Amino acid sequence: MSQDSLLGVSINFDTSHTVFPTIIAVILGILFVAILVTRGKTMLAAVGNGPWWPVGIDHMRFFGTIAGTVVYFLAMPAVGDLFPNTGLGFYLCSIPYLFGMSVLYLHERGRKQLLIAGLNAIIAPSLVWYILSELFNISLP
Amino acid sequence: MDLISILTPLFFTLVAVGTVIGIIFGAIPGMTATMAVAVCLPLTYSLGLENGLALLLGLYVGGISGGLVPAILLNIPGTPSSITTTLDGYPMTMAGEGENALKIGIISSVIGGLISLAALYLFAPALADFAIKFSYIEKFLIIFFALTVMAALSSSLLVGIFSGVLGIFISLIGAYDISRGGNGELRLVPEFLEYYLESGFSLLPVLIGLFGLATILIEAENGMPEGQGLSGVKIAKGKPFRLSVFKGQIINLIRSSGIGTFVGILPGVGGSAASILAYSQEKNFSRHPERFGKGEPAGVIASESANNGLTGGALVPLLSLGIPGDSTTAILIGAFTLQGIQVGPLFIGNNPVTWDAMIIAMLAANLVMFLVMIFAIRHIAKVVSVPKNILFPIILMMCVVGAYTINYGVMFDVWTLLIFGLFGYLAHKIGLEIAPFIIGFILGPSAEIYFVKSLESFGTLSIFFTKSWIAVLLWVLIALSIGFSIMVSRKTKKMR
Repeated sequence: MSQDSLLGVSINFDTSHTVFPTIIAVILGILFVAILVTRGKTMLAAVGNGPWWPVGIDHMRFFGTIAGTVVYFLAMPAVGDLFPNTGLGFYLCSIPYLFGMSVLYLHERGRKQLLIAGLNAIIAPSLVWYILSELFNISLP
Repeated sequence: MDLISILTPLFFTLVAVGTVIGIIFGAIPGMTATMAVAVCLPLTYSLGLENGLALLLGLYVGGISGGLVPAILLNIPGTPSSITTTLDGYPMTMAGEGENALKIGIISSVIGGLISLAALYLFAPALADFAIKFSYIEKFLIIFFALTVMAALSSSLLVGIFSGVLGIFISLIGAYDISRGGNGELRLVPEFLEYYLESGFSLLPVLIGLFGLATILIEAENGMPEGQGLSGVKIAKGKPFRLSVFKGQIINLIRSSGIGTFVGILPGVGGSAASILAYSQEKNFSRHPERFGKGEPAGVIASESANNGLTGGALVPLLSLGIPGDSTTAILIGAFTLQGIQVGPLFIGNNPVTWDAMIIAMLAANLVMFLVMIFAIRHIAKVVSVPKNILFPIILMMCVVGAYTINYGVMFDVWTLLIFGLFGYLAHKIGLEIAPFIIGFILGPSAEIYFVKSLESFGTLSIFFTKSWIAVLLWVLIALSIGFSIMVSRKTKKMR
């Protein structure tokens, strides 16, 4: 991009893909600095006062959700490769994932609650897999 | 295909199912209409456009309406747009008038929804006819207008603008789209991700991550609090409900529905702004402002008619300009994309049957919502106690299904869901605004094409001011909207 007069601009097609991202990056930078200038004191005070994240959060449920989800995402294609084009990667991995998450989120883990979580973990993926993969032929991992 | 052949029993069944599921989503604190639409979007994959829209519009109307249930019974807004419903709805419940408050809210909701639907039917085609004449310059200015409005109505103007611009920046990741006149070169992509990000991040996994996974992470962080339940809450021990409560409330209903519709038309502005504005107006005009906040039915009427007024209003810019009015209608773009249809000024003219089907679906959804909620409100009220440990894992699974199926089975889209789920959580923690981010993300690629092509053609920035009277008018509107929005923002802050 070159500038001919105060408001005149000529754009080279070969480099035109960088014009808009550059402008947006500059605006983003200016806005970031403006936020730091106008809210810097408040932000520093907040940082200074603590407690810092992740203090005060439910570590088990929060990090358990993230870890369980990452494992679920990694396992689906791996299991799916064993049974190509069947959606079984999704189905077989969703059952333990749902059960694990349900138990993780439970506050009271009695026999009744675990039974409901188990039934939910079997019924929900079975229904979704059957409806999407078998009835509608929608591809699943 | 003609309209009659589309209006099948399946069409109306999907509207009804969508509305009921939407009500359930809206009624459970922490779950929103946006989440309902995002999670159920993949189900429309094989339904066809009109049937898919029937389901999604039902979810939208139901989701917005369901939020009044926990707002009134538990003092927890089921959706952000029900925030002012708590102010008078909950005190009514405490006084044993819960059922009355719910029925007042339901009737106000349906009236708000129908008034906004009439506005949609009248204004969207007219606006689309007008917008057909727009060149790239006016189209760019329209997007600029949308971004300024949504930023100005964010909780912080600066953070709102930053969030919107960040959304645009992330939307530019990938190749400069050849099909729209770009040169096909990649930008902002690390080398090891070039294969996955050639077309940038897909819209729907981003939306599902931001509204599905992020919400669950926020709940998990808080220890997944169990529903407060209805134990100890007597829904009806006072006087039975009578329609006479609406006596003298016609102006309130019309004004609040009008405010909701207008705020809905403004792009990127959430329902909470609509209900707060309508509530404050009603309080200002009331002869008994001191009763507000203590169980005044007029407060529930103002809040609920305004937030349902949003439903039709938010579809006006979507269907006439291609600009979503709120985050839920942003997801509806995904339904059109799935079916290969682009929304914008030509949509209504080129797809009159789909347009009519959408209006009928909205009408049916409002009626179903009214009937289901008015007759089954005691049962629906129990939904607020459904255990999250059962629901949230199912939603997580549906998020995965949605992300994976959107591009016919791409695992990277599932990881995109996780990336943006974490980003949504982080944004919540540091105070970034998600609605402007989403609108920026959706409109960014179009803004780029319009801006760069305008400069390539005319070679001067002054063309954005001098191209036509429409461009000048748009600048005036931009200035007016900022002025108006700042005024609204100040009022809103005052209310809070």
